[in-house]
Amino acid sequence: MTFAQAMFLAALQGVSELFPISSLGHTVLIPALLHWKIARESPQFLSFVVALHLGTALALVVFYRTTWKGIITAFVRSVVRGRFDGTSDEKTAWLLIAGTIPVALLGVYFESTVRSLFASPLPVSLFLVANGAIMFLGERLRRAQHAGRGKGYRVLEEISWLDGALIGLSQGLALLPGISRSGTSIVAGLLADLDHESAARFSFLLATPVILAASVVEVPLLFTPSGSAILTEALAGGALSGIVAYASVAFLTKYFESNDLRPFGWYCLVVGAVCAVLFATKVIA
Amino acid sequence: MKILAIVLAVAFFTVAVLYWVGLFGGVHVKHGILFAGLGVLALIWLRFQSAAPTRAR
Repeated sequence: MTFAQAMFLAALQGVSELFPISSLGHTVLIPALLHWKIARESPQFLSFVVALHLGTALALVVFYRTTWKGIITAFVRSVVRGRFDGTSDEKTAWLLIAGTIPVALLGVYFESTVRSLFASPLPVSLFLVANGAIMFLGERLRRAQHAGRGKGYRVLEEISWLDGALIGLSQGLALLPGISRSGTSIVAGLLADLDHESAARFSFLLATPVILAASVVEVPLLFTPSGSAILTEALAGGALSGIVAYASVAFLTKYFESNDLRPFGWYCLVVGAVCAVLFATKVIA
Repeated sequence: MKILAIVLAVAFFTVAVLYWVGLFGGVHVKHGILFAGLGVLALIWLRFQSAAPTRAR
């Protein structure tokens, strides 16, 4: 992997981790489309990926620093007192825990198996099409479901623990490369009758502990001989990924104030379908 | 329910340690961290049951 390729992948990771278009899917498809020979299972590449995820997670922490400060303070206060006081930050903290447990269990037990089975271009292309379909279906179901209620959308503090757990569980679908973690969790949030802005915010908050924990655990990889061999790319890539992720989350939080998932759905349907044809017909080997 | 919380906490921490020492087919750091986290949550549950049962809402 050249330095330029590394920086391209870092920028791609920063965008696609938070946009509902599947980061893993894109890091499989784009090198395949460009005929890049990248050994995805090599220790060097894994070290590089750890740095990219760390950059993304830190960008999320920095972007939501005030929110996280409130959430952590409310959580600690709640534990020290041994009771729920029902504040907004406290409810968010416990919703995040309810949502993180299922995806952590799924990730720890099934991630490597599922990814090794499906992380090749053709299945990824098909899953990307499915990701687009999930977003269209989610928007449609949500409109139909909300139409009969005759009141405004719920805010995050109004959803139940079960809703929080189900939104977290929905991220499990993103173990399949091509299915977006933020896409499925935003759709699940919409189906819990959240508005787009709240669903996206909860999705990004939910992503932070998962990405951060997964990357922090792997940080020692950076200090192994294979990690040292790629340290420059890893540091520069992590920084670039973080900057791009920060810009992405800033854009998306603004975007979801008045827009929905359909443009991303179209993108996934079109790109996934084109890639599926290219790989299935062996136009691109 | 306090007993259940204690039993769960002990069980989760035990499983975490067993993962870390490699008793389940090799060392699994992430699995161990996950179960340690669940153990901490079980202790928090115990804490919630031990505190005064008043609720703001």
